[in-house]
Amino acid sequence: MASRSWWVMLLLIGPLTGMAFISAVRTYGELSGAGGTAAGVGEAFAPLIGVWAPTFSACELAAAFLLPFVAIRLVAGDRQSGALKLELQHPMPAIARMSAKATVLLTAWLIASAAPLLAIALWKIYGGTIYVPELGALFAGHLLNAGLTIALACAAASVTDHPSTAAILTLSVTVGTWILDFAAAVHGGVWERAAAFTPTAMVAEFQHGLVKLDAVLVIFVLVAAGCGIGAIWMRLGVPVRRRIGESLAVVLTSIVAIGAFAQVTASWDVSEARANSFSRPDEALLQRVPRPLRIAVHLAPEDPRRVDLERRALTKLRRIRPDVRVAYISTTTTGLFEQASEHYGEIWYEVPGKRIVSRATTADGMLESLYELAGLVAPAAAEDDVFRGHPLAAEPGGAAAVFYGIWPAAVGAAALWSRRRER
Amino acid sequence: MASGLRVSELDKRYGSLAALSGVSLTVREGEVLGLIGPNGAGKTTLFECVAGVLPADRGTVMVNGRPVPALGRGAHLFYMPDGIAPWPSQTAGWILDFAIGFFGGDPARRTAVVDRLQIAPLLGRRLGHLSKGERKRVLLAVAMLTPQPLLMADEPFDGLDLKQSREAAAALRDHAAGGRTVFLSIHQIGDAMRTCDRFVLLSGGRVCGEGTAGELAALARSRGAAPDGFEEVVLALT
Repeated sequence: MASRSWWVMLLLIGPLTGMAFISAVRTYGELSGAGGTAAGVGEAFAPLIGVWAPTFSACELAAAFLLPFVAIRLVAGDRQSGALKLELQHPMPAIARMSAKATVLLTAWLIASAAPLLAIALWKIYGGTIYVPELGALFAGHLLNAGLTIALACAAASVTDHPSTAAILTLSVTVGTWILDFAAAVHGGVWERAAAFTPTAMVAEFQHGLVKLDAVLVIFVLVAAGCGIGAIWMRLGVPVRRRIGESLAVVLTSIVAIGAFAQVTASWDVSEARANSFSRPDEALLQRVPRPLRIAVHLAPEDPRRVDLERRALTKLRRIRPDVRVAYISTTTTGLFEQASEHYGEIWYEVPGKRIVSRATTADGMLESLYELAGLVAPAAAEDDVFRGHPLAAEPGGAAAVFYGIWPAAVGAAALWSRRRER
Repeated sequence: MASGLRVSELDKRYGSLAALSGVSLTVREGEVLGLIGPNGAGKTTLFECVAGVLPADRGTVMVNGRPVPALGRGAHLFYMPDGIAPWPSQTAGWILDFAIGFFGGDPARRTAVVDRLQIAPLLGRRLGHLSKGERKRVLLAVAMLTPQPLLMADEPFDGLDLKQSREAAAALRDHAAGGRTVFLSIHQIGDAMRTCDRFVLLSGGRVCGEGTAGELAALARSRGAAPDGFEEVVLALT
C-alpha cells in the first residue's frame, strides 16, 4: 500500500490543511474580537462554518486531485507490472478483489485524515468549542466523497489500459461535475436537480451540518457501481463484449436505483446552530399550513434573490414540508431583461382556495407569507432558541509548526522507516 | 488433473490478424511439454488463452475430460507470464511469502526452492531493482511454490545465462519429477531439448506437430525433409 503516490498525498495534505486552518482561525479570531455575540450574528461564529468547513476543504482538494492518483496507482499499477495476471489466477471473485483494494484505499484516506483531526485538537487547545455531531457529519461527508473518488478512479483504472488515460478520465469526470454545477446555476430545472448529487454539492451540505439521506444513498449506489464496473473490467479473461454488456447492466441498475433514492426526503440537521432548520415553534406551526402547498417563484436561475430564497428559506421548508411543490418560472437565464415583466420577482404561495403574492426572499419573509396564507399567528421568538455562537479571539499558535514542520518531518520519517523495514 | 489438460480448436483474432487458428493439443499428466515456435507464432497468446487471462474467440480447455471456463482455470493451473515485474517495490522474499499465502503453496518447500534456484542473496532486494535474469529466477521460484497441478511458464529461460539456464532446466525437471505437470513456452531449441519430454510446434497460430523429438523427426521425414538434428526438424515443420 505504501506507494510513493500515497506518501506524497500524506505529505501534502498536512500543509494544505494547515494553510486552511490557520487562515480560518485567524479570520474567526478577528471577527470574534471585533464583533459581539448578539442574537442573529451567531451563525457567523459557529466553528462549523467559520473554521471546519474551510479547514476540511483541504480534504476536498486532496480527494479531487491527489487521491485519484493513489487509487489509479494501486489498480493500474498491478496491470502495468503484470501482477494482475498472477492475481487473477486466484479464485477470489473480482468484486471481492476490487472491494479489498477499495478498502485499503479508504484506510489510506482515513490515515491522511489525521491532518484535520490534528486541527481539531489544536482548536480544542486554543479553547475552542467542539460540537461532535456536526464535526462527525463533516468528517463522514468527506469520507463519502473520498469513497466516490476511489470508486471512480478504480473503475477508470480498470477500464483503461494505461494509468495516464485513467487519470485523464477521472479528472474529466471531476471537471464534468463542475460543468454540471455551472449548468445548474445558469439553467436551473433538471440540471439543478442533478447537480444536487455532485460531490461538491454533497460536501457543501455536510459542511453546513445537513445530512440528506437521498444524497447518502445515491453516493452508496455510485460507489457500488464504480467498484462493480472496476471488477468487471479487471477480469482480463472475459470477452470485451460481455464486459460491455455487464457494465451497461450495472449502469442501468444504478440509474434506476438513483431515480428511486432521489425521491427519499429524510434529512437531519446536525449543526449546533440549526442552520438548516426553522425554529422549533415555526416548524410545528408550518405543519398546520394546508396541503397541497404550492410555491411559484418568478425569478431567473442567476438572479441572486432566487439563490437567497433557495438557500435560506426553501431548503429549510422542504425539510419540514417535503410535500411542497416549488416551480421556478422565468424566460431568461439572468432575469435582467425580465425585470419589467408583469410578475417578475413575485413569489406566489398557494393552498386550496387561496393565494398570496410576496416579493420577500428571506426566511422570515417566507414564513410571514405562509402564516398569512394559512391564517396562522406567528409564534413568539423564543430566546432559548437563538444560537449565540462560540466566538473565540485566538491566534493559531503552534499550528504553523505542526502543519509545516512536524507533519512533513513525521511523514518523511515514516516513509523512510517503512522503506527500510521492507528491505 | 488425473488425465491431463486438453485444448481443442482454440481460435483467437486481433482484429484481422488470426493469432491462433484451431489450436488443439494435449498436456499429459507428469510430463514436461515444450511449446516451440518462431517469433509471432502465437505462443504467448496460446498460453494466455489457456490460462484464462485472455479471452479466446472459440475453443475449449478441458481438464479431466470436462470443459473448464476461463475464470475457473486457476484451480487447475498456474501461469507465469514472461516480461512481468509484479509488485516491483516489494522484496523477492516478500513476494515468495505472498505467493505462498495467496495461492496456498506449501511454506515448507520455500527453502528448498530458494536453494535450488540459488536466489537466497536476492531475497532482501526489491523485485524492481533486480536484473532481468535475477527477476526471472525469482518468478520461477514463485511458480514452483504454487500448488496447482499444472505449471505453465512463458519463456522461463529468457534472460538467463547458459549456466543459469541449465540449472533452471534441471530444477524444472526435478519439479516435474516431484509430480507436477509442466508446460513451457521456449524460444531456444537447446533449452527445450534439455528440459522437455515432448513438444508442440506452433507457427502462424497453427499447430505444426506434437510429439517427442523422435516422433517429430519422423513427421518431418514423412513430409520429405531430411533433418539433421532437432533444430532442423523444427525448421522443417514450422
